[in-house]
Amino acid sequence: MITKNSIMLTINGRKYKFSVGDGIGDVSPSETLTHTLRERLQMTGSKESCGGGACGCCSVIVDGDAIASCMALTIEFDGKNITTIEGLEDPINGLDPIQKAFIEEYSFQCGYCTPGIIMVAKALFMSNEHPTPDQIKEALSGNYCRCISQYTVLRALNKLAGNENAELSTITRANDEVEDPIPVRQQLHHSPYANGHQCKHSLD
Amino acid sequence: MKYRDIQQPNYRHVGKYTPRKEAKGIVTGKALFLDDFTVPHMLYGKIKRSPYPHAKIISIDSTAAEALEGVRAVITHKNMPQPWGLGLPVHRMLLDPKVYHVGDVVALIAADTVEIAEEAVDLIKVEYEQLEPVYSAEEALKEGAPELYKRFPGNQVDNGIKYFQPDGPWWQIIRGDVKKGFEEADYVAEDKISFSKMPAPLAPETPSCIAQHDGGDNYTIWASSQSAHIMKLMAEGRIPNSNVSVKTFNVGGSYGNKQSLMTTVLSAAMLALQTQRPVKIVLTKPEQLMSYEVRLGSTITAKVGMNKEGIVTAVEGDWLVDTGAIADSVQGQVGVGLGECQLVLAKCKNWHMDSHIAVTNRQAAGIVRGYGGQELNSCLERLLCAAMKEGNFNPLDVFKKNYISPGDTFTWRDGRTWKSRSSFFFTDAMQAAADKLGWSEKWKGWNVPFIVKGTKARGVGMGVIGNADISEDNTEAIVRIVPDLVGGKRASTCIIECDITESGMGTRSNACKIAAEVLNVPYEKVSITEPGTKYNPSNYGLCGSRGVITTGKAIANAALEAKKKAIEYAARYFKRSEDQLDTKDFMVFVRDTPELKIPMFKLGPKELSIVGYGKHMEMFDVPSCMALFVEVEVDLETGHIEICKISGGTDIGQIIDSKDLEMQLHGGIGSACVDTAIFEENILDRSTGRLLSSSLIDYKWRTFNEFPLYDGYIMESQIDSFMFKALGIGEISGAAGASAVLMAVSNAIGADVKEYPATPAVVLKAMGKI
Repeated sequence: MITKNSIMLTINGRKYKFSVGDGIGDVSPSETLTHTLRERLQMTGSKESCGGGACGCCSVIVDGDAIASCMALTIEFDGKNITTIEGLEDPINGLDPIQKAFIEEYSFQCGYCTPGIIMVAKALFMSNEHPTPDQIKEALSGNYCRCISQYTVLRALNKLAGNENAELSTITRANDEVEDPIPVRQQLHHSPYANGHQCKHSLD
Repeated sequence: MKYRDIQQPNYRHVGKYTPRKEAKGIVTGKALFLDDFTVPHMLYGKIKRSPYPHAKIISIDSTAAEALEGVRAVITHKNMPQPWGLGLPVHRMLLDPKVYHVGDVVALIAADTVEIAEEAVDLIKVEYEQLEPVYSAEEALKEGAPELYKRFPGNQVDNGIKYFQPDGPWWQIIRGDVKKGFEEADYVAEDKISFSKMPAPLAPETPSCIAQHDGGDNYTIWASSQSAHIMKLMAEGRIPNSNVSVKTFNVGGSYGNKQSLMTTVLSAAMLALQTQRPVKIVLTKPEQLMSYEVRLGSTITAKVGMNKEGIVTAVEGDWLVDTGAIADSVQGQVGVGLGECQLVLAKCKNWHMDSHIAVTNRQAAGIVRGYGGQELNSCLERLLCAAMKEGNFNPLDVFKKNYISPGDTFTWRDGRTWKSRSSFFFTDAMQAAADKLGWSEKWKGWNVPFIVKGTKARGVGMGVIGNADISEDNTEAIVRIVPDLVGGKRASTCIIECDITESGMGTRSNACKIAAEVLNVPYEKVSITEPGTKYNPSNYGLCGSRGVITTGKAIANAALEAKKKAIEYAARYFKRSEDQLDTKDFMVFVRDTPELKIPMFKLGPKELSIVGYGKHMEMFDVPSCMALFVEVEVDLETGHIEICKISGGTDIGQIIDSKDLEMQLHGGIGSACVDTAIFEENILDRSTGRLLSSSLIDYKWRTFNEFPLYDGYIMESQIDSFMFKALGIGEISGAAGASAVLMAVSNAIGADVKEYPATPAVVLKAMGKI
């Protein structure tokens, strides 16, 4: 049996060599990829949320596939090519189209699960430039988002994929439905309540 | 008043979508959350937790843990450095010789690494004597039930506390003559209904903090809390004489649930005091699910009377509230719950609605989006349905007739009576949302599906709820117009000083937007100070949908004061009266001669800012309203339910950010709201007191490929709340959803469903199939 005492990972195009062992500073055989990325390399974009591979917050791309890095042992990635959320922005061309679309469509709220969602979406688009709405939903079915940004995430990704009529959410503003509207003018509406209204119980 | 006659202002920023200040940070992974942050010389804390729901600690031996290399402190009830209590009112110690729920704190460990701390947890030997547990408010309040705390005889928690009710406790709606009300009623419904599976809002980022002892009684806490001020308030009440500085980051989801984090924060602070080093505690997902705060358990036994017109004439009953093993914020939630049901049934003159709060051996219930209102509404609306069914009413008509209109009065959680001066258009919003769902075609009567195809039947349901917390709690802000030091004409900037955390609702960015609107400057030129209690003016925090409204008001007033000062300076400079002047992009100009203009930095004292101060004072007289309509499809053979479509309607007064609002509405599907009707629950194993739903695999949540169509309808009737005439909606955007879904399921299957959640077994039972 050959035992290796060092491993080499390529992360976001840079090579990182780690010694394996149980000494201080070594990568222990039980260390997860999430831990290596977050604690050793300070790449804190991927989040450790459930620690059980169920929420997708820790997703990174390994050789084209999105994986849950909290369920992966670092030593198994010797020689592999890993992309994290930190490596998605191109130094010359700027943000990845998915990142841009997420800002344009406001596809997040708290933003904690967003890096994981973006990485899973990126892996999908790398293998298929025009996924169908169902393929997009299916790809993200392992990503937990509790603020409910799913509608706007799907909106951004369907737009990128060129899917029309895939919209799940519509908001109607009553003002758009007013027939023959009265012309508007710019005005700050001042009211007795606007400038420090106090209730009758107030001591102020 | 006609809607079209309302003048709709055309703002520069307000009402439009503006990307959040932290948008780029979020999509690139650079946005900082608590666990991404470390303090030099920091230790890691872990909590040894109880495996039993109710037990006495007979012996505890931590010698092996203390001897483990890398362990810096082990604290048990025997060697607490200071006696810190938990609860409001304090009813137990952080570490007691007893444990009150599975996951309760038995010992605290600080170590050099997380792994060492975890190993030390396993090395602590504890011998317990198990005590009889109680798992519901009903059991706990029975005579002879095992008593948890001396402070709460008969397990009954104090009704009301001074903080929430300054004039004295308030926990009952007693008004009019209930006997007469029932005599006037043509239809009466009476039942007992529970919403007591205590589901978890379950933010993706687990509750976490870093505590540092600064000497004396001073502490610094970095925390994943949506409200630094609330944490400070609670912590200073628990740590005697303390002065606590709280700093917050981006919060990875909270839904009202990550506010004071008291157990976690006090644990970290006690370890920090003992070790004299900063200590970080990050709960694991199973810890969050097993031991962190969940929704209140809620059961009503009540009677509702309704007359031939569909107006509710009397409500009588008792609301039993299960607050779990720690009572921390429950009286406020009960007050808001009772307040909210009066908004829905505002035309009812006769009330006798009592409430009782009990402690039980379940994990603590805490604050969750919906804040008591959702828990009560989910029960009361089922009862209301029974009365409407008696009279064969269309529920849309009944909700419209009973909902609060301007001029109607109600008692809010402060125990005071308020008169609504909110929207005239809530009923129009209800109707428009109903139209979006196709209500008039799909409503076929009570327990009648509108279509049955093979084994699939479809039904519709609706719910309405409101909240008056939108202008709760006082807040202050400072706005500074900061001169460009090298004299760029339009290069000044605006800085808002206000303590606002960002937990996903865009509050910080909306605050900037509001200041930019008042000063008429680009949004990019406005920034806001880092959140934290110590160096900012006071802001109560994000709760009750108050964030944008109350901070917006304080900031708008502060910005207006700064603007007025700039105009005063310019009036002297141009020798014109102030009303002839206006501002744009940090310039003051003469309105009728815009060539006459001067940069603000030339007007103020050299190097110094032009400063304005603004505040908001608490009031409760602008209630909101959210109507939700749902269409469900039920498989009559398997009992499986699918929510096919949701439509929601509200009058928001004025949209501050269009996309933000859309997501506030969507949010009502998550955080243990709508889905508590069909699959979301914490499943308690009564033989062990433990949850069977303590991982993200076992706890059911809605995945990306299961989202129904959402159709929202927004009116903007310019409600007089603050300068920008807006209401908040996040607190209640899904709060009426659970009751709406059960109505729809009952209609689809042709039988009443009264149990939350309506799992396939519940559905088949209701149909008489099992």
